[in-house]
Amino acid sequence: MLPPDVTRSGRPSTARPPRRSRIGLVAGLTLAAACGGSDPIRIGLTGPFEEPRAQSLRLAVELAVREINDSGGVRGRPLELVIEDDHGNAERAVETARRFYADPAVVAVVGHLASGTTLAASSVYNGGLNPLPVISPSASSPVLTDAGPYTFRVCPTDLVHGTRLAAWATAQLRATRAAVLYLNDDYGRGVRSVFIREFTGRNGQIVADDPYLEDLPSFLPYLERIRRRGGADVLLIAGTRTGAERILATLDSATLRPAVMGGDGLAGIEAAGAAAEGVFISTAYLPDRPGTRNAAFVRAYRAAYPKQDPDHRGAAGYDAIHLLARAIAEAGADRAKVRDYLATVGTSTPAFEGVTGRIAFDEHGDVPDKDVVIGLVHGGRLVTAPERRP
Amino acid sequence: MKGLTALKTLRGRIIVAAVTVSAGLIPVALIGVGALSTIASTIQTELTGLQRVTTLTAGLAGAVSDEIRHAEQYLTARDDDTADLFRAAAAAVYQLQRELARLPELGEEERQAASRIGGLQAQVEVRYAYAHALSDLGRPEPAVAAARSARTPADQLTRETKAITTAETERYGAAAARLGGAAQRRLRWVLAVLILTAALSATVGVTFYRSVDRPIRELLEAARRFADGDLRPAPVAGTRMPGELAELSVAMERVGARLRGMVAELIEESDHMAETAGDLSAVSEELAASASEITTAMVEISGGADRQSGGLDQSMVQVERLAAATSLNADVARNVARLGGDIHRLAAGHSREIGQAASTLTEVQSIVESAATQAEQLQRLSVTIDDFVDLIKRISSQTNLLALNAAIEAARAGERGSGFAVVAEEVRQLADSSAQAADQVTDSVQAIRRQTSEVASTMVAGRSKVGRLGAVATGAARALEEIVKGVQEIEQAAQQVTTEAVANLQAAREVGTVLRGVAAAAGQHAASAEEVTAAAEEQGASTEEMAAQANQLIQFAERLKKLAGGFRV
Repeated sequence: MLPPDVTRSGRPSTARPPRRSRIGLVAGLTLAAACGGSDPIRIGLTGPFEEPRAQSLRLAVELAVREINDSGGVRGRPLELVIEDDHGNAERAVETARRFYADPAVVAVVGHLASGTTLAASSVYNGGLNPLPVISPSASSPVLTDAGPYTFRVCPTDLVHGTRLAAWATAQLRATRAAVLYLNDDYGRGVRSVFIREFTGRNGQIVADDPYLEDLPSFLPYLERIRRRGGADVLLIAGTRTGAERILATLDSATLRPAVMGGDGLAGIEAAGAAAEGVFISTAYLPDRPGTRNAAFVRAYRAAYPKQDPDHRGAAGYDAIHLLARAIAEAGADRAKVRDYLATVGTSTPAFEGVTGRIAFDEHGDVPDKDVVIGLVHGGRLVTAPERRP
Repeated sequence: MKGLTALKTLRGRIIVAAVTVSAGLIPVALIGVGALSTIASTIQTELTGLQRVTTLTAGLAGAVSDEIRHAEQYLTARDDDTADLFRAAAAAVYQLQRELARLPELGEEERQAASRIGGLQAQVEVRYAYAHALSDLGRPEPAVAAARSARTPADQLTRETKAITTAETERYGAAAARLGGAAQRRLRWVLAVLILTAALSATVGVTFYRSVDRPIRELLEAARRFADGDLRPAPVAGTRMPGELAELSVAMERVGARLRGMVAELIEESDHMAETAGDLSAVSEELAASASEITTAMVEISGGADRQSGGLDQSMVQVERLAAATSLNADVARNVARLGGDIHRLAAGHSREIGQAASTLTEVQSIVESAATQAEQLQRLSVTIDDFVDLIKRISSQTNLLALNAAIEAARAGERGSGFAVVAEEVRQLADSSAQAADQVTDSVQAIRRQTSEVASTMVAGRSKVGRLGAVATGAARALEEIVKGVQEIEQAAQQVTTEAVANLQAAREVGTVLRGVAAAAGQHAASAEEVTAAAEEQGASTEEMAAQANQLIQFAERLKKLAGGFRV
């Protein structure tokens, strides 16, 4: 067994033993389940739940489980969530995956949130004698395509995001010069490399291409160098909301005013105030997405969690739970049967019409049909960006 | 049950032995092959894994060193080429780290180390990139400070890379030791099963050999005894002998019993024959003796008659001269008549004796006939012997075929079957011996038949001769009757005449007259006596001939008995 978490992490928050938190959550959700008598069907949920970016995922997933249990559960059995925090860290993600794997009652996992953690944990889920199916709501790295037959995701890959962002920058923003700041992990590198390829392919010029980590002392040297090189029409932040907020806060100091855009890693930045206004974000989902299913979901979400909107992770997690419920109902509460059923969704069994759109898996467990939309932070909300008339 | 039935035949035992040996060898082969293939595939997997990990870690170490070198160079050179080299090296490290982290053969510790390498690489790249930005902005001191801050994660990166290599090497060392242990264990298993199989094979072989060897020896012994003529019952023991040998043993028992019966019958018959021939011989001797007595008596009679005749002639002359006128008186005539009656009685007594001799001859004839019939029976019996000899020949030819089959089976069994091949050869030789013995019996039976038929023909000849002898004896009896009658008359008359002549000279003339008639009769008598002598001699010769035949019969019976005596029953 691995040594206790406490010895591994420098962060004080991780000193809380995950098992205790899990038991507490399990108990609460089991009570919430309206179906008595029979054994609950366990589904794992994991993500960096101490971070704001994972909040919507957890809330939406819990909402979906409540909905299913309120309507009688699956095959007469209630669903039971087993929630583990992976701290957004590959090592911790592997430990989390091991705990899910070791519990034979867990038939599937929804998570992890990021590409790095999903990729690291996939080696656990896909290995051994009793592999465990996992559906990531938001791990978008192209690398994940070959992570294994038990790894699925319900979001488009970074290839789609990078392509869509480059297209938007050239067609809608008429940008010719782009600066790229990327988070130096699987996700950041993925979005960055596709964007650069697509942007240069559209005769754009890359004036900067700099890596960062959250502990970078300052973004100022990168931004100053961009200005010295003559500035940029557009700044792509291939990273997460945390880094993006720091970059936005530093832009004024560097006297740079480029249009700022980013992938879905930036989701939630609309809550960051005035600095975030006008940021373009590519995302697989926006709450104002048309369709009755989505309208009902957003309504239910707002009712359950007042003054909050679901983000793309939450909506995808919500879809993942409903998809798993259908798979268990059709194939049975068994890991291999659930996996085999998921693999047929969109081919030999009907595609799943979710709040995020149509889910139809290819042979890699990806959803190639899904597209992304460009959202715009406007008035503290992320709305569908208006397209300029040609 | 079926298995037990299979064990009862030679074929079954050979099959059971072969199956037992194969049943032992197959697990050995399976374990051996399984062990080899497992070890080979494990070694292949482990080596491939080791090779991949080593290649990646070596590449990783090289790329990390390139990244650091180019990053440091850029701080002083600040040209685009160096920047590109740095980025390319960083991308390579990133790529290699990702490949390494996804290697399935990586241990948990190494996987986490690979994951840490990813984090460290990100840090190194970011810190150098940051230092480069500062350097580009013309701030060398913070740039150097930032570059220095990259060295800690860079060193750690190098250490982690080395640690992975070390850990992998150790892991594969342990795997090699584990493999070695597993190979040892499997080897011990194979050896144990091999030894077990060898012991089992040896036990089965010895048991089989014993179960076949003893019965075959006993059968051989029985066949040798038969060949030596010892037909005494000696059961080839052992209910545990294989089916085919048990059948052979039973068949040989039956052959022995039948031969024993036949030889006993033969001996009994020859005893009978010898006895009969002995009787015949005794009768012949008696006949010969009586014939010789008759002859002697006749010779004496003949001599007496001659002498009488001479005397009569002389006395007649004198009587005729002395008392030519003597006439027969009535007393003498009465005396003569009375003497004639006496002679008649005597002759009748002789005739009875001769009749008895003739009836004895008839008995001899019937005995000879019964001997001939028995010889014919003997001949018929020998045909039955032929049938049994045929049976033996068939059995031996089947056994020969069986032995050939066994030899073929043994050849199929290869090296392991060589012992069975010897056994098969033994069985085949036994079959040959049986066939030869059968041939010998055939020869003996043919000899017996030949001789029996000789006896039969001799018997036929004897019978006809005895018949002739009977006829002669009857004739002799008749002649004897007459002779005796005549002789007695003569004797009595002569005595009377002599007494009369001595006592009464006066009656001489009468006597002389009587003598004349008597002398004529005496001449007649002498001729008759000669005739009788000749007949008696003839009878004697016939009797001798018969005696010789009887002797021959006795000799033949003795030979027959001696022949039968060659067999011990």
